[in-house]
Amino acid sequence: MAHSPMTDHDDAYDPTPDNSELEAHLQTKNMVINLGPSHPAMHGTVRMRVELDGEILAKVDTEIGFLHRGFQKSCESVTWTQVIPYTDRLNYVSALMNNFGYLNAVEKLMGIEIPERAKYIRVIGAELHRIADHLTATGALGLELGAFAAFLYGIEARELVADRVTELTGARLTTNFGRIGGCNRDLPPGWIEKTIKTLDRTIELADEVGGLLTRNRIFTDRCRGTGVITTEDALDHGFTGPCLRACGVNYDIRKAKPYWVYDRMKFDVPLGKNGDNLDRYLCRVEEIKQSVSIVRQALEQIPPGPVILDDWRIVLPPKEEVYSTIEGVMAHFKLVMEGVQVPVGEVYDSTEAANGELGWYLRSNGSGRPYKVHVRAPGFHILSGVGKMIEGRMLADLIPTFDTINMIGGEVEQ
Amino acid sequence: MSDEQKPVAPPAAPPGPPAKAPPKNPGMVTFTVDGREVIAKPGTNMVDAAKTVGVEIPFYCYHPRLSIAANCRMCLVEASNSPKLVPACQTAIGEGVAIKTATPKVKESQRAVMEFLLLNHPVDCAICDQAGECKLQDYYMRHDHKPSRLERVGGEGTSGMKVLRNKRKIIGPNVVLDQERCVLCTRCVRFMDEVAKEPQLGVFNRGSHEVIDVHPKYGALDNNYSGNVVDICPVGALLSRDFRFRARVWFLSAAPTVCTGCSNGCSVSADFMGQDVYRYRPRENEAINKSWMCDQGRPTYKAFHASRLLMPVIGKGADAREATNSEAVKYAAMKLKPLAGSVAFAVAPTVSNEDLMASFAFARDVLQSKTVYVTGRAPGAGDNFLMKADKNPNRKGLTWIAKGFGFELKTFADFTAALDKNAIKALYLVGSDVPEDAEVFAKRLAGVELVVAAAMHETPVTGAAHVQLPASSHIEDEGTFTQEAGITQRVRRAFPPRGESWPAWKWAVELGKELGGAAVYGTSREVFRTLAPQVAELKDYAWDKETPMNVKGQGNQTLPAGADGRPPGWREQGVPRIRGI
Repeated sequence: MAHSPMTDHDDAYDPTPDNSELEAHLQTKNMVINLGPSHPAMHGTVRMRVELDGEILAKVDTEIGFLHRGFQKSCESVTWTQVIPYTDRLNYVSALMNNFGYLNAVEKLMGIEIPERAKYIRVIGAELHRIADHLTATGALGLELGAFAAFLYGIEARELVADRVTELTGARLTTNFGRIGGCNRDLPPGWIEKTIKTLDRTIELADEVGGLLTRNRIFTDRCRGTGVITTEDALDHGFTGPCLRACGVNYDIRKAKPYWVYDRMKFDVPLGKNGDNLDRYLCRVEEIKQSVSIVRQALEQIPPGPVILDDWRIVLPPKEEVYSTIEGVMAHFKLVMEGVQVPVGEVYDSTEAANGELGWYLRSNGSGRPYKVHVRAPGFHILSGVGKMIEGRMLADLIPTFDTINMIGGEVEQ
Repeated sequence: MSDEQKPVAPPAAPPGPPAKAPPKNPGMVTFTVDGREVIAKPGTNMVDAAKTVGVEIPFYCYHPRLSIAANCRMCLVEASNSPKLVPACQTAIGEGVAIKTATPKVKESQRAVMEFLLLNHPVDCAICDQAGECKLQDYYMRHDHKPSRLERVGGEGTSGMKVLRNKRKIIGPNVVLDQERCVLCTRCVRFMDEVAKEPQLGVFNRGSHEVIDVHPKYGALDNNYSGNVVDICPVGALLSRDFRFRARVWFLSAAPTVCTGCSNGCSVSADFMGQDVYRYRPRENEAINKSWMCDQGRPTYKAFHASRLLMPVIGKGADAREATNSEAVKYAAMKLKPLAGSVAFAVAPTVSNEDLMASFAFARDVLQSKTVYVTGRAPGAGDNFLMKADKNPNRKGLTWIAKGFGFELKTFADFTAALDKNAIKALYLVGSDVPEDAEVFAKRLAGVELVVAAAMHETPVTGAAHVQLPASSHIEDEGTFTQEAGITQRVRRAFPPRGESWPAWKWAVELGKELGGAAVYGTSREVFRTLAPQVAELKDYAWDKETPMNVKGQGNQTLPAGADGRPPGWREQGVPRIRGI
């Protein structure tokens, strides 16, 4: 008689689960998803490998490098002056601050003092671009939390600033402005009046943005108490700029180590308390107002005079000298072909960029090209703390957090 | 002499300058430059002595191989034993003297000298061949960097008050003179007088009318060493007619090589861009050519480009067709195989030692040849300075290698005699140069059953070959040459071989491989390392260390890197070897 397998189970087989099975804990495992590298909320091209336990962020692993361009090495194979357009591409939202920060470091290495008027132009340019940067960051924060109108007002103001920057530098985004020893051009005629009008309108628009967001229940609920970082952690990770000040640490290089003419400007450094997204947002909104005030003061105080040094070892001679005197053509030739001869040495210098301390470590071997260029991008250090800020919180908190740290791929990934 | 007049004890020495202290370092002179102690041989001038501690004193007229004129005044420095500034090129160092090269007084003097030199200088950098390697530009930026104070009568863009002189005077077959650019350092005058020993150049007129010109007795600067005045001219006054307007110097890279125009083997730098050489400049070599080279050797670089054999050709006459390299190797091997043992071997002493050694190894081990016929260029004019009558750059190397490989050297006369007797059935020929008319020689080859020629140029000789293998020039591969006095020099590769050409050693290796030979070398370095031990004179040569590429300070001037910041020669070396690509 053939053996039937069914016979063994005839009694045991019962498709209905018993009670103990029904009451067992649901077996789940964490889900791993990719946020980015191509995602509208991932500014630039950052990949976040997010491990989700339900909607809770179990682990956030940030991966950068998709926008790596070999910035530092590129700088080392061109002349000191040719580095300036490369710096545009660091924090491309506020290129002027990169230009000026780099130039400030080179000038410190060379031990030269730029003319007064050039210092004012640098303060004006840097603050205009700080306004533009903060408007973008706050506008985009609203946008990504669903408040599209605020973004439009922010961008309208940013456009006005971009128009003034275009008139000053000739470019909207990649400004390539400033040269070793000062600025390559003076303020255009009538620019000061236009800029004052722009500032008036910018304040109005910034108030609109603030009005739409700051007292918006949905917005504040999503920002308050989310993305929190403690003061200790922020310091440990090397936070600077609005992200550090939102934790209540009063550190602003413009005050701590005043450069150019910041010591002559009256302005406050807004401080937060909780180190959460809302405080970072509020710091930025207030900084826009302070920057507007700085630009107004600078436009009032700006003295007449040259905007660049008169030393043909550093600065290109005027064109009429180049075309009609041998001295001019020689200086021009040597500066263009071999570059400004920067004395042997090394320097670290930093300025307060929109997102924090933009530091430059430069090293010269006495030639016309940098021997070493290293950039301390503020966003890099802040990005390193993003895991601490949101691990254990909700997935939805990641978006405002990533917005308020305002990581810029160009400078972080270089 | 009487007793009364007998002198008493000599009086005490009158008070005067204290006795000189003995030299701090006996036999040497010890002094200080900018506070740093320098020890140098007596008689050394301050420029050279300061250089030993890294202090650079600027100068135009001084040249270490010429007499000292001290007329440019650029090298004036402060010395503790002189109330006035002293010319550092002319002043020998003194014991205990303190020289200062960077005081305000010296700097002001340098600035003033520069201003005077540039006063009448035309606004020419944009059209001047010297731009980029001009000492006026260098020193202007270092020591002057101030605007012109010359009145520009006639408005912007005019020459204003500048003194105008002859702008383009062709003064000889090789040299053109721009008197406006001249700073009257007289280096060229002294060179023609002291080195070339034919004072064809002189200074004419006086004051602001002073110019360099050709002496009427000579009429033209046609000495065989006239090209050197272009090299030593610190500004753009004397320019090479050959090089003028052909390339901007900052685009050129320099490869150290040797001149193959004659058997003297002058060290030169080949300035190249892409796969073209633009000029030869003499490279300093104390043992051979000092800082000079002759006008016969200067244009020999043109042979790298002219009528080159760039593709292998198989077949002869109407059957001739271009082939790929591997096809040519197979074809040649197929033809050579049945004739092994009866293939004659002829080389021209114009190829490198590596080419010779690989070819000899192939002839001996694969072709079973015991004799070598020496072809090469016919002797020509020589002089008692640098130009030699033997125009073959590597005859010495050939002699050494033939001896080392156990070959019997046979002359060209033996060769033609054997050819005329139809005693040669097949021939492996390296180099197309023959010391007689090429057409005549090609006719002699007509009776040979198979001619395989590895040669650089298309000539009637290669036209008579059944397999033409394109050989690369010595600028296209690493190698060594041994000049007449037995000095072996390294040449460095500037760019990859043109066309499909291979170095002659590679043709020998590939043919050998195809015919079942054991020799496999991938590079000329391997050829040298493997085969040089068989040659007594070459086996101890430091092949890797000699004449490194891109060392600053070779030759008169060093060239900057590519204007875009890449190292010299980057374009030519192809894609860099990066792991993973």
